[in-house]
Amino acid sequence: MSFFIQVVVDGLSNGAIYAAIALAIVLVYRATALINFAQGGMAVAATFLAYALTRAGVPVLLALLAAVVFGFVLGAVVERGVMRHFEGGDPDTAVVATIALLVILGGASAYFFGYEPHQFPSLFPNKTIEVFGAFVSLRSIGTIAVLLVVMVALQVLFRSTKLGLAMRAVADNPQSSALSGLPVSRLLMIGWGLAAALGAIAGVLVAPQLFISPGMLDFVLVYALASAILGGLDSPLGAVVAAAFIGVIENLAGAYLDFIGDDLKIAVPFVAVIVILVVRPQGLFGRKVTVRV
Amino acid sequence: MATSMAAPTTTGRAGHRTSRWKGVAAVGVLGIALVVAPLVSSPYINYQLSSIAVFAVAILGLNIVMGYTGQVSLGQSAFLGLGAYIAAYGILHGWPGPLTLLLCAVVPAAVGTLVALAAARLRGLALAMITLALPIVGVPLARRFADFTGGSQGRVVSWLRAPESSGLANDQWRYYVVVLIAVVAFALARNLVRGRIGRSFAIVKENEAVALSMGVSPYRTKVLAFTIASLLGGVSGFMYLAIVQFTSPETLVFATSINLVAAMVIGGSASIVGSALGAAYYVLVPVLAGQVNSSRTALISGVVLLAVLFALPAGLVSLPRRLARLRSSSRRTQHPQQDPPTPDEATRSASAPSEATTDQHS
Repeated sequence: MSFFIQVVVDGLSNGAIYAAIALAIVLVYRATALINFAQGGMAVAATFLAYALTRAGVPVLLALLAAVVFGFVLGAVVERGVMRHFEGGDPDTAVVATIALLVILGGASAYFFGYEPHQFPSLFPNKTIEVFGAFVSLRSIGTIAVLLVVMVALQVLFRSTKLGLAMRAVADNPQSSALSGLPVSRLLMIGWGLAAALGAIAGVLVAPQLFISPGMLDFVLVYALASAILGGLDSPLGAVVAAAFIGVIENLAGAYLDFIGDDLKIAVPFVAVIVILVVRPQGLFGRKVTVRV
Repeated sequence: MATSMAAPTTTGRAGHRTSRWKGVAAVGVLGIALVVAPLVSSPYINYQLSSIAVFAVAILGLNIVMGYTGQVSLGQSAFLGLGAYIAAYGILHGWPGPLTLLLCAVVPAAVGTLVALAAARLRGLALAMITLALPIVGVPLARRFADFTGGSQGRVVSWLRAPESSGLANDQWRYYVVVLIAVVAFALARNLVRGRIGRSFAIVKENEAVALSMGVSPYRTKVLAFTIASLLGGVSGFMYLAIVQFTSPETLVFATSINLVAAMVIGGSASIVGSALGAAYYVLVPVLAGQVNSSRTALISGVVLLAVLFALPAGLVSLPRRLARLRSSSRRTQHPQQDPPTPDEATRSASAPSEATTDQHS
């Protein structure tokens, strides 16, 4: 039994990592209705800033705050300087522009810090505590706690603030929003800035575990996309639940199904996601969209 | 295509006829260049040219499903890898070449159809998710079923040597084989997208409800587009093995799919010529960037990608149109008065993306 709990807890702690990036993807999607492949690249760039600061002797918490501010500015600048150019054009072109940004940010991170992974100091003490016979690291608990706070904050932002309502309106229909007097371009900048700031939090939280390198989040991005889409893409709660689900069933399948084992366990959540999407195309928590002619 | 676009600017039937002759001449020159190129080039150049042919077919398939039919696919590398593995298996078991090629087309097409039967009900990102899962699941599967795939080491083959009688070197012979396959694939695809099926692709991309009201089933059209895309992906896998003589799980990684999508958009979405240009971009830019500075390849490639997107949002295929437009606007400003461009024209050339998109409808 304690082994089972251990497997589930490890799965949840992986899921927390996926959820952090998934929330950033949901945020950009809700603000701009665009899938942003550069999300991971922006998060890694901000995390590298925190890394450079901690190397210079700055406490981790201050470095995190600096990374969040830098992330916000980076996201806003990228939106203003690059993505603005592709608005209103073919969405495929805009998505490829985010791919270009991903490549550039990865290349720039490698330019300053190289490709090899570096150790990153943890925000939380490196201890484990025993819960029902399973060992849980304080780092996992801290990550999950921060994540839940962020999720609630996002839910509140979108549901009950004027800013959130305005951002949803812009994502839904930029032209009507502009006609109703919303500052569309500023809202888009804020959306990208918030998403990149969130990515910075995620990067600093997971860097101690994954070790920081330009490709640190490449794989996480794929899981995060799966979580965001499974969760319905416009629901922060859905993204977190889906990420936890993916983390847990991947670990359970790897631990209990012999023919799956460690190498094939990645296939399990993706096959599960496919089956769920085919049955429920709008995702677990998404609302059904009807398209009119 | 570019020449026929230019036709309406010259007047009457004579203009049309000359542009037609220009088109025939261009195809003739291109054909001669394709035949002569390997005879006068080094093996290294021939390898790069052959690689362009390989990825041109993969991107052509992607263009049919994404560019023409408007359905996101992030899984094209899975079909390329599947085709390469089938080819390797066939060669190591001594199957005849044409049969292997046939299987490399049919098996991925069947897999693509099965996936599409489930996925084509979905739209947008859910569809992206399912196609994205193909390479993600495919890589560990390829590692696991080592009897078929050779596991992580992959499969090395020594195959497609030039026959003695031809007097050609291996690289030249392989070039001719893959370019022949690519030319056939491009000719078939061109006819496909210009005919009834191509029109149904376009209307499904435009508006599914309208397609339905015209008696075109969006579901069946999408399944067909996916099937053709995966068929071409499989064929490009066969060509890949012919050139590289090696395949491993690395062949089908997700990053390749992403880069193929980028190359397709760079070349020109919904354009046959654009698919070939995109493949040239896909193969050549990393090589050239590596020569400029081998440790900054990623940074340079990314900057080039973004720069091309800024300058030509409709892809490389729109370059001649764009140049013609720039030339005519500069001539207009120079001729009547020797002043700098009027503010009106300056703003027009600044708003590049909208200009290029309206271009397509004119």
